[in-house]
Amino acid sequence: MAKEKKFYLTEQGLERIKKEYQDLKNLKLSKTKGEIPKIWQSEDLNPEYLSFQEDLSFLETRIAELENILKNAELIKPPPKERQNVVNLGAQVIVEVDGQTDEFTIVGTLEANPALGKISNESPVGRTLLGHRAGEEVVVSSSIQTIYKIKKIKYNIS
Amino acid sequence: MKELLNFFIEIGKLKRKKRRGWVAHQIKNPESTAEHIFRMTFLAWILGRKKKRFNLERVIKMALIHDLCEVYALDLTPYDPLLPKDKKKIKEILKRWPRFTPDLKIKKYKSKYKSESRALDKLLVKLPPNLKAEIKNLWLDFEKGLTKEGRFVHQVDKVENLLQGLEYWKKYGKIQHKLWMRWIKEWLDDPVLLEFIRVVDEKFHKKETKI
Repeated sequence: MAKEKKFYLTEQGLERIKKEYQDLKNLKLSKTKGEIPKIWQSEDLNPEYLSFQEDLSFLETRIAELENILKNAELIKPPPKERQNVVNLGAQVIVEVDGQTDEFTIVGTLEANPALGKISNESPVGRTLLGHRAGEEVVVSSSIQTIYKIKKIKYNIS
Repeated sequence: MKELLNFFIEIGKLKRKKRRGWVAHQIKNPESTAEHIFRMTFLAWILGRKKKRFNLERVIKMALIHDLCEVYALDLTPYDPLLPKDKKKIKEILKRWPRFTPDLKIKKYKSKYKSESRALDKLLVKLPPNLKAEIKNLWLDFEKGLTKEGRFVHQVDKVENLLQGLEYWKKYGKIQHKLWMRWIKEWLDDPVLLEFIRVVDEKFHKKETKI
């Protein structure tokens, strides 16, 4: 049987998923219990009815997706002090690329948002940085090679 | 029906809206937002077929609506707010990939989100409630990457940008293609799209690889 994918989440990310899961379950309950539009019993194609139908099927898919995430979630914890000089999940990494400085936080795919500097551990850059120490240079290759010099590593996971 | 017609007239404006990033690169007759949406939808649909348990209808709709806000909102580029009006200065800025401090990244992100969300609300205001809700829900998913489909389509958007950038580089040589290849490796983590990028890289940089 194929191994299920692990979802690495910060505490904040895990709380957000748990809250969304609970909210959606409550919403589904209220919809299926009593807050069904009157048109439910009618054959008229009322837009509200269609919208409800659509939302419910999307709601169920989303609830199932969140259940799978929660089942396979792994909390990102700061490594012990002696390992905090190595890039791991949750690390804030200051790098130098082509003479320019940038700062990334390495997160799991669900929380990645490069526009905010949150790089996925499954992206070529995130993957390459993992396991390296401050002062080291890592090469992200393809036909074009890019050198990232690791200047500093910090852990401030919330 | 009248409201729908007005909506179609409004989104038709995207056929003539030139993408600002390519205008800044002084590309002759650059693509419009609608042209970007056109190919991006194909990429999302066809590459999305390689994904397991994927809601392709959602993927296609999301690709179609992802830039509708640009009817009223500015089409922001990675270089904003650095782009000056002076063409010579623009050339200098485009030589390097824009890097921002964490605080500025947050500021830029929030301001983009706010202006695009407002613009989309303005566009959708007279549509039937269920359609309005559906489009807004799809856009939120695209922007925030709430579902696996949302995260995928968000990355497909970047892939289409890269592909267009490499095509312009081949044709006009005005694009810093190496910077774009580097950028995409910070953005993508989807295995199907990473494999696609490997093929793109091979096609566009074949000669350079041989050297």
